[in-house]
Amino acid sequence: MGRLLLFLLLATPLAGLAASPEKVLHLALSAAETGFDPVMTSDLNTASIEQQLFESLLTYDYLARPAKLVPRLAADMPTVTDNGRTWVFRLKRGVYFAPDPVFRGARREAVAQDVAYTLMRFMDPKNRSPYKFLVEGKIIGLDELAQAARRTGHFDYDAKIPGLEVLDRYTLRVRLKTTDYNFAHAMAQPMYGIVAREVIEAYAGDTASHPVGTGPYHLVRWIRSSRMVLERNPYFRHEVWNFEPGSDPDSQRIAARMRGKTIPQIDRIDIQVIEEPQSVWLSFGKGELDMIGLAGQFAPLALQGNRLRHKFAERGIRLDRITDPSIAYYFINQQDPVLGGMSPQKIALRRAIFMAQNDEEMIRVIDKGQAVRNAYPIPPGVAGADPSYRSLLDYDPVLANRLLDRMGFSRGPDGYRRMPDGSPLAVRYTSSLSSQDRELDEMMKKSLDRLSIRFVSEKLKFPEILKAERQCRVQLRLSAWIADYPDGDNFMQLWYGPHTHENNAACYEDPEWDRLYEQTLSLPDSPGRNAIYHQLARMLELKGVTKVSTTHIRNVLSQPWVLGFKAHPILPSVWAYLDIDTARAPHE
Amino acid sequence: MNLGAFLLRRLWQMVPTLLGVVLLVFFLFNWVGGDPAYILAGKMANPDDIANIRHQLGIDRPLWEQLLIFVRQIVTADFGNSWATQEPVSAIFRTRLEPSLVLLIPMLLLETAVAVTVALAVAACRGTILDRSLMAASTVVMSISLLVYIILGQYVFAFLLGWFPVKGWSDDLWRNLTTYAVLPVLLGLLVSIAPSLRLYRTFILDEIGQDYVRTARAKGLSETRILLVHVLRNAAIPIVTNVLMGLPALLTGAFLLERFFAIPGIGREIILAVERSDFPIIKAATVYVAMATMAANLLGDLLYHWLDPRVHLE
Amino acid sequence: MNVTDANPSPGLWTLAWRRLRRDRVGMASLAVVVFYLCVVCLAAAGWIAPDWTREVGVNYAPPVFLPGDQDETAVPLQQTSAVAAPVDLYGLKDPLARVLDAIRAAHPEDQSRPAEGRRLTLILGGDKWGHDILTKVIKGSETSILVGLIAALLATALGTVMGALAGYFGRWVDDFFNWLYGVFTAIPYLLLIFAIAAVLQQKGVSTIILILGLTGWTGVFRLVRAEYLKHKSREYVLAAGAMGASHARRMFIHILPNTSHVLLVQLSLNVVGFIKSEVILSFLGFGVPVDVVSWGSMLNEAQNELILGKWWQLAAAGTAMAVLVTAFSLLTDALRDALDPKLKY
Repeated sequence: MGRLLLFLLLATPLAGLAASPEKVLHLALSAAETGFDPVMTSDLNTASIEQQLFESLLTYDYLARPAKLVPRLAADMPTVTDNGRTWVFRLKRGVYFAPDPVFRGARREAVAQDVAYTLMRFMDPKNRSPYKFLVEGKIIGLDELAQAARRTGHFDYDAKIPGLEVLDRYTLRVRLKTTDYNFAHAMAQPMYGIVAREVIEAYAGDTASHPVGTGPYHLVRWIRSSRMVLERNPYFRHEVWNFEPGSDPDSQRIAARMRGKTIPQIDRIDIQVIEEPQSVWLSFGKGELDMIGLAGQFAPLALQGNRLRHKFAERGIRLDRITDPSIAYYFINQQDPVLGGMSPQKIALRRAIFMAQNDEEMIRVIDKGQAVRNAYPIPPGVAGADPSYRSLLDYDPVLANRLLDRMGFSRGPDGYRRMPDGSPLAVRYTSSLSSQDRELDEMMKKSLDRLSIRFVSEKLKFPEILKAERQCRVQLRLSAWIADYPDGDNFMQLWYGPHTHENNAACYEDPEWDRLYEQTLSLPDSPGRNAIYHQLARMLELKGVTKVSTTHIRNVLSQPWVLGFKAHPILPSVWAYLDIDTARAPHE
Repeated sequence: MNLGAFLLRRLWQMVPTLLGVVLLVFFLFNWVGGDPAYILAGKMANPDDIANIRHQLGIDRPLWEQLLIFVRQIVTADFGNSWATQEPVSAIFRTRLEPSLVLLIPMLLLETAVAVTVALAVAACRGTILDRSLMAASTVVMSISLLVYIILGQYVFAFLLGWFPVKGWSDDLWRNLTTYAVLPVLLGLLVSIAPSLRLYRTFILDEIGQDYVRTARAKGLSETRILLVHVLRNAAIPIVTNVLMGLPALLTGAFLLERFFAIPGIGREIILAVERSDFPIIKAATVYVAMATMAANLLGDLLYHWLDPRVHLE
Repeated sequence: MNVTDANPSPGLWTLAWRRLRRDRVGMASLAVVVFYLCVVCLAAAGWIAPDWTREVGVNYAPPVFLPGDQDETAVPLQQTSAVAAPVDLYGLKDPLARVLDAIRAAHPEDQSRPAEGRRLTLILGGDKWGHDILTKVIKGSETSILVGLIAALLATALGTVMGALAGYFGRWVDDFFNWLYGVFTAIPYLLLIFAIAAVLQQKGVSTIILILGLTGWTGVFRLVRAEYLKHKSREYVLAAGAMGASHARRMFIHILPNTSHVLLVQLSLNVVGFIKSEVILSFLGFGVPVDVVSWGSMLNEAQNELILGKWWQLAAAGTAMAVLVTAFSLLTDALRDALDPKLKY
């Protein structure tokens, strides 16, 4: 009966008028964006918007798991020759930038020269790009240009370098200094979205507020750190939703529903910045937001075990649940005068501290079940992962205490342990001022209490933590790393000696480890590389450098009228691939 | 003293105060305010990149030179661009001021209207059980933390009852006033009415004790007329100055409301700037608010003089 | 501010006390405040709520009057298996192999331990770790009230000394302190908090006291300065000067007692204000360290618990705080009325 009524309604002329209302997607960002010049972007929130405004040469297939590289601005996958050192990219034809006054009303096609220009921008010191590490030291001639720019204060974009050759209007040849199989991943980053030189130069100094790309959307309204409105790019090429579903029923359902539609389907994306998780959750509950990432602390509200609660499921709300390609790991500064050093006592002390960390309790109480124990530095879903890896440093306070007893860390009259030479012992744990970090402080206090080690808390603002890490002044911290691209190297480099003062926050400099790691650099994802990775991971545990603790689970909730959504582990946003069922969506 | 000389003297007095503010903020934030270079450089930056960024931001220059630049920025009212977002600082304040005011002006007006009305009412029946229970009730209401009000209010009135949107802001002034600002304003009033009410009650009681009230009573004027005309006119002076002087502090004080209701105001922007060590915004915010505070004080004094010429300008 | 014109006689306090005793609301508030202070003393002495960090209940144990509202995630903790089964070392050598072997040989019996017994409900419920909320509220009262009191004393002392110097000496001393007052009131409060917090680093409860004290002296300063301006040329002060009393003696022995009623009222206003400010400081991340509990830290922890349906921590801390603050404010009113009878008509 209900269906019949609906049918009759749709058949009336009145319904015909309302048949194509504007499709609007309402979203929230948990933290403020920065600005929309991709070369200067480093945070995921901003990248998620840039993913829709700009297009990189390559991208990841929407449905394929594990993540698979596919062409985006490129017409097909690049030809790689010369042992992974020469890459030839051919571009799609008829790709146009979104309209902008700079183009004076003309349509501006994206060509190979734009790609070369975009890559060069990363090395311009003026742009201080946070993601230049993906090309730095790789492209022949580019670093020399950067060097010259540092001397003269002017980056010569007109210089011809052997590493970047425009073969014709649509073809670019990139020459690398050494073999690098991960270069394709670099070219799939949202930060490497192609820009037009005349736009960048016309808005010099304020490029962040004039994003002009070839993506499916363009920015029409921006109230900084509050609201962004994207609308479909009128010049976007004709592209059809044609992803191959995997064997899982979810992706088959999505493919069946979406296949053959043009991209994008949604007319407008309305994004608000909402910092307080309570506000996000309540807004979603009232239908003011169409999709949200479920904050960990609210997981018990929506989930029972790992299923959506009945009351939400019967409203048609959908849950997408994937493990993030990320790790949470404890590290101890190896250059610290108290905790550092390779004597058996110091190694035992560090390993005891790691063994006192109760990962199960952290998952249960702090992550509210939305994380899994993962002891391997490479998380699931990333090439080189090993979910069956067994940790040497699992929670074991009894053993940890025995180890400390044997190594001469005896308890003083105050009940706290001292160093074997009798000097006082306190462990400083660094964390930020956020309330989530306060929970972690409580956790760490409990852990060190188990060992009778005095706990000292150091609370710093996030930029200060970064600074302290880079200067090797942090003692102990729980840090996190999320994949830039789904390859194990992106994680293993975190302990590489030469990366001390960069992102080797443990300041671990071990020739033996470094030598092994360097061997993996010229290997593709293979059993041989995995064997070395296992040794590297174990060595980090044996020497008490790091303990990898958990991998987070990402839960995305979407309203019943949001169609075609499947959470992607690497892509920061997939809005262009979605649709909205206007018959079910609440009207504005 | 005539008005011109008074103004000149007061403006001249502002210079050392502003200088003090500038020095204090400069040294506090330059000394301990954090180094934004590390967060701007991203997660793989090497020491060269950090040095490059520090050089571009000018934080590798000697302190006195940075201070000179700061002073020049104040004089030219050009604080440059935000370090985190490259947005001109002036644009940030231009766009954030309106939401803050849309939130604060109704709050201030309602607060004053309600507080004055109730204060007059309780002053009329001072000492009675109604007076005492109303004052006690207002004390209870203001004893609860604003944080608790926000958490509960958003949950109950916006979510469970659905009377208001949970959060949000639009481009339309009228829509903001009538839809989005309503719940935050009401919640803010819960904690802000009671202190004003208590203050205004003492102002009014002060006036009731004056000789002119006795004279008016002797002349046989009705108690209501005395209260509404004579007492209120005189009590209005401290009330108006109090309202005026409270405005600048409110600009930055509403950050809790702004964060929970996703309102793009100034308080939230300042917290963000401190988290990101975005020094240009911090400097500008301090200087602007300090100037607004001093201007409000001056305006208060002038108003005092204007409403009550017996008060001499010193 | 209305102040009695006559020199306060020695009987001022006696008179005030007599008036206060007649004020029923005032006495009731006094009783509540005294009760809280007793709780604070008992808790500080360790006689009640000795250890709030003990995890006595299951996670989010509900209050006793709400049985059956258990969280399905509240599984009791299992202890450890002491000696882990050997893992593959991938051909590497363990630098601690000898010690670990020795431990294994010495304690072959270690396998597992029974889970600790945990209560399923607690009087006022439990928090996410299973801490008893009643104990936390009591211990939190101690912290919050002490922070409020000490910070108020600090702010009042600072304001008094500066106000006394400014009002008494006048001229450039007055100019200087007025300038300082102008600077502190002109800087936005929020930024002042951030700046001072950054200077002090995060050291513990004393940091909060200093932040509150250093930002809160301005109100006291203004009033005390006005009082000293009025009093310094009074006969009794001039007489003391003629008899050879030093400036310090005239300021703090002769004049100060005559401003004490202003100070007392300001002090208790500050206590109330600071107890509330501590909540906001906690929200901004400048709250008490993790081994200390306060109302502010509880309210912030409970922020997200309301939606989860675990409302008891929010209710307990919120109520405890509201009752004290109400009583303290009413007591302040009563004190003001008692000390300054002109205000009552």
